[in-house]
Amino acid sequence: MIQSVGRAARILKALGSESARLGVTELAERLGLAKATVYGLLRTLEAHQLVQQDLETGKYRLGPALLQLGNAFLDNHELRARSLLWADALAGRAREAVHVGVLYGPNVLLVHHVFRPDNSVQILQVGASIPWHACALGKATVAYLEPAGRDELLAGPLPRLTGRTLTSRAALDAELGRVVEGGVAVEDQEAIVGEAGVAAALFDHRGAVVGAIGVAGPVERLLPDGSAADVVAAVKEAARGLSRELGAGRQAAPGAGA
Amino acid sequence: MATGVAVRWARPSTGPGREAARSVDAACTRSWLAEVAGSLEQQRDYLTQLDAAIGDADHGINMHRGFTAVMRRTDALEDAATPGQLLKAAGRTFVSTVGGAAGPLYGTAFLQAGEALGDGGSFGPRRLLEALHASLEGVQRVGAASEGDKTMVDALAPALAGFELELRTGGSLETAVRAASQAAGEGARATVPMQARKGRASYLGPRSVGHQDPGATSTALMFAALERAVLADRSQRFAAGGRPRGSRP
Repeated sequence: MIQSVGRAARILKALGSESARLGVTELAERLGLAKATVYGLLRTLEAHQLVQQDLETGKYRLGPALLQLGNAFLDNHELRARSLLWADALAGRAREAVHVGVLYGPNVLLVHHVFRPDNSVQILQVGASIPWHACALGKATVAYLEPAGRDELLAGPLPRLTGRTLTSRAALDAELGRVVEGGVAVEDQEAIVGEAGVAAALFDHRGAVVGAIGVAGPVERLLPDGSAADVVAAVKEAARGLSRELGAGRQAAPGAGA
Repeated sequence: MATGVAVRWARPSTGPGREAARSVDAACTRSWLAEVAGSLEQQRDYLTQLDAAIGDADHGINMHRGFTAVMRRTDALEDAATPGQLLKAAGRTFVSTVGGAAGPLYGTAFLQAGEALGDGGSFGPRRLLEALHASLEGVQRVGAASEGDKTMVDALAPALAGFELELRTGGSLETAVRAASQAAGEGARATVPMQARKGRASYLGPRSVGHQDPGATSTALMFAALERAVLADRSQRFAAGGRPRGSRP
């Protein structure tokens, strides 16, 4: 490991975890480094526009180059790039917001978000990170992981996010069984009170699960007495189409057939 | 719940010459609901602005719409409706008209409070304390939030604690609702430096730091409205020579 690169990364993360700007002294204290070291690192990062100094206060914040890097990450994300059209079509058909997510540790990282097509104010959630066991995207993905990966996640911490979050291994095991059986994962206010989701897994040319696509919206619209059949059908169809585009064969998803 | 039962209650500090409101009747409950509706209308854009920073920018709109429906529903109830019936009707209306997290959470809070108040035509401070406990329990059952998670619990729990402490140390209904209102406001402001651990804001991780929680803020508005309703009730009683009002505000 290169020490200075590690230190620079820690500076960026420290600046990214605070809405307030930080001065050299604060950063040095927080990271346990000499002020001169931190200053040198900041000057280098600033030259690359990765951090910016506020001229009035002299404090530092993240720089504009990071936004470009973040966008580049998303643009180069193959799943995201390929999902754009399918996600738009799904949002139009289901009249709900659409999320595409990939597993990143024990969380689902949202790599794409299409707004609910109703002109209401909505906040872009790309980059959000949701515990896998609490969301439809996560359950849809983990259900098709190879046993070792699935067991590891089931053994990990399973925080309770609402009164309805499944937090026991047994309950989640059964839930993942239902996902494989039905080819679709349902989230009933398990991550956010009042919010529901329906998602299906995405597979690549090797038949390996690479993420999930699904709709998210108010529970009363998405799950009126169970899940709305047309929404489930639309989600499955989008997942099948997108998987095929990623090179998955028709038999890729064992239960994902209609 | 148990915390409120084992304590020894101090004598109310109401001395002669001081006409303190010692109970809340249906009319006062109605004026509380009206105060809440008014302040949600006034603060609608502010709440939405707070929500836009860490949520989905609909809290003000949702709360305002919900309370408009609550007022319509409770205005249609007969005059004989008890405080418990009013709050239960408010809770049910909230659940059925408000989307997002606010509907189920506030709906549960009002429903549980209404249940705890029972069938009486009025309720005193101890009953109100029980109702607050029931509300908090209901909210925590639905939302699984603890204090410090940056949610409405961060206003509701301190309000309850402030109310209870004031009563235990000899305070009146009035001083207790004032203490609750102050504690709720402080609790809401204290959510600013917190990192959200529940709700959509938790998806933002460290980026949720530095913003006041909209849910805690709307809860604080409700306690401020309760304080105003109870104090106004007292002054009107006083003006009416100690007789409770018969008509609705």
